[in-house]
Amino acid sequence: MITEALQQVLNGLAIGSVYTLIAVGLTIVFGILGIAHFAHGSAAMSGGYLTFILTERLGLGFFPAMAVALIAGAALGVVLERLAYRPVRDAPQINAFIIALGLTMILEGGNLLLFGPDQVVIPTPYQHVYTVGGLVVAELRIQVMLTASLAVAAMATFVSRTRAGRSIRAVAQNRQAAVLMGVNADAVATMVFALSSALGVIGGALVGALLAIAPGVGEGLVVKGFAVLILGGLGSIPGAIVGGLVLGVSEALAAGFISSAYKDVIAFLVMIGVLLVRPEGLLGKR
Amino acid sequence: MTRIDEGLVARCTAVLAGLALCATAHAAQKELVIGVSDALTGPGAVYGLPQSNAVRMAVDDTNAKGGIKVGQDVYKLRLVAYDDKANPTEATNSVRKLIDRDGAQYLLGFCCSGPTSAVASFIGRENVTMLVGNAAERTITAQGIPNLFRTRPPADFTGSAAGAFVAKRGVKTIAVIGSLDVSFYSQYLEAFEREFTRTGGKILAKETFGLKDRDMTPQLTKVRALNPEALLVLGYVEPCAFVYRQAVELGMKMPRYGFTSGSEEQFLKVATSEQMEGVWDLRPTELTVSALGEKANAYVAEYTKRFGTPPSPSSPYAYDQFYVLKHAIEKAGSVDPKKVQDSIRSGGIPPEAIMRYLPVGSAMFDENGQAYTTNGAFQWQKGKWVYVSDLPSDPVAYSKYLRSLRK
Repeated sequence: MITEALQQVLNGLAIGSVYTLIAVGLTIVFGILGIAHFAHGSAAMSGGYLTFILTERLGLGFFPAMAVALIAGAALGVVLERLAYRPVRDAPQINAFIIALGLTMILEGGNLLLFGPDQVVIPTPYQHVYTVGGLVVAELRIQVMLTASLAVAAMATFVSRTRAGRSIRAVAQNRQAAVLMGVNADAVATMVFALSSALGVIGGALVGALLAIAPGVGEGLVVKGFAVLILGGLGSIPGAIVGGLVLGVSEALAAGFISSAYKDVIAFLVMIGVLLVRPEGLLGKR
Repeated sequence: MTRIDEGLVARCTAVLAGLALCATAHAAQKELVIGVSDALTGPGAVYGLPQSNAVRMAVDDTNAKGGIKVGQDVYKLRLVAYDDKANPTEATNSVRKLIDRDGAQYLLGFCCSGPTSAVASFIGRENVTMLVGNAAERTITAQGIPNLFRTRPPADFTGSAAGAFVAKRGVKTIAVIGSLDVSFYSQYLEAFEREFTRTGGKILAKETFGLKDRDMTPQLTKVRALNPEALLVLGYVEPCAFVYRQAVELGMKMPRYGFTSGSEEQFLKVATSEQMEGVWDLRPTELTVSALGEKANAYVAEYTKRFGTPPSPSSPYAYDQFYVLKHAIEKAGSVDPKKVQDSIRSGGIPPEAIMRYLPVGSAMFDENGQAYTTNGAFQWQKGKWVYVSDLPSDPVAYSKYLRSLRK
């Protein structure tokens, strides 16, 4: 029983680390710029598809392909911010909300047009299975967890240790004061979208390797991402990390011990339960 | 006496004869609308799109040969296909559009049970003929709807044969993972369990997954802890492929049996050939050249040439539907749906049919409007489904059972 529970936790951590990546991307955009970037999941899927094309058709290794897709994803983030969100930055919030919904449809349609309706799995060479103390873990799942951890750690280091990161934190704390202190808020917005999309692309590539990419997967991921955002605390990066893992593990335990049919329901019940006790989320500020 | 120019008379006669011939030919050339409602996108498209393509191929071939001859008339066929997305509401809308707007009196396709059941609930009141393909839910033909016929046998017809097969292979305990909230999979399991437990077999667990689920490790982890001798996987191709793949990723080495009817190409989109090695598919004897012979070979070649991808194993159900209809119309000498239905009911197996049907008496369809194919055991060996053996099946006994369910 304990082994089975631990195995379910391990299973949940793999998918939870993908939720974390998506949620961290969403939380930096929402926390710093106040935009509910619904198209994030679709942008992540575009990166996943690109990784698939680079590995399957051009023969690149999984990580080199992901690195190329990550750069393309960051560029896509910059384009989205400049062309779609910046023009409505000072308009009522509903405008950015509608634009986000429109972008989701555009990106989903673009993915369908460019990559077709078929489900694809990104091939990787990680086929080993390890057994430790009755627990079984596939090499691919270890790679997913490690990659997600490294990506989030790199992003956190960038935000906390670099001059550019300091600008981001300044805008997040008080945009007007930051601008008065000479911070280029436009550049920060561009940088945030590039970072967010790059993280999303890593998430998309990992989902593509771990499970599969298909039309509609991005939309499902972004819903989970927003759930994690609320669970962890709006705008909190540590909250997004913890929230993503909690959601992944809750789903695995629910599917394993109750029923897969109710795993989403149970995961969202956990979220509601947490919010009843801590309305600001697990690590949100009171 | 007026002199008649014989040359002029001959020319006029020729012109008049030509005009008469044109008029006759014009009157005889008619159009017959063939409607298709099927899942062309979404999770059901792995079955629906190949079915729709198969009907298109048969329609094109028939038109290329001049159409369907009915008495003095020749009917050219016009195919109208709508996407029902494997959704009951969409299917109802598609069929209403086909009947009310496009004037279709013959409806083909229908790969998925949910939408097919929704259409079946009202089709008996319409002056149309409906031919169901891959949708395997039992109740579709258990109601005795007079204008509905199905080429695929119900899931439980196959399930009982599969249960006996697995028991005969010496398996004593098995765990089930499947779309068990979908009725035709639960009906397959019900029949499987009846046969499997008859000889002392035991089902240790019944775990469910959703149609769009991709992470099956929670269910597999739970099942692994019970240490079953074998795994039974029931569902659409993609989720089942994830189960097979993730079972290997979790180090589960027991024999894996399934009921999916997916092609090699469909499975290889999710799992590698190594991950699939040894998997059994216990299903109607569908499209495998080794099981169905040269006619299937020609079908696969033609389909692949036209659509750039091989057909799914279940797609010939729809191809066969079309030829059932064509021969029934020709035999009836009419396109009146009621006369065509009588003709289908008494008709034999069309010579173009790809699947291997088991006739009930002398007819292809029984009194429930149900046709039966042989069932077979297929195993994945080195990248291919290999037909291993037939699964003993009794269509006459099943037909009686199906009739007994009618209220």
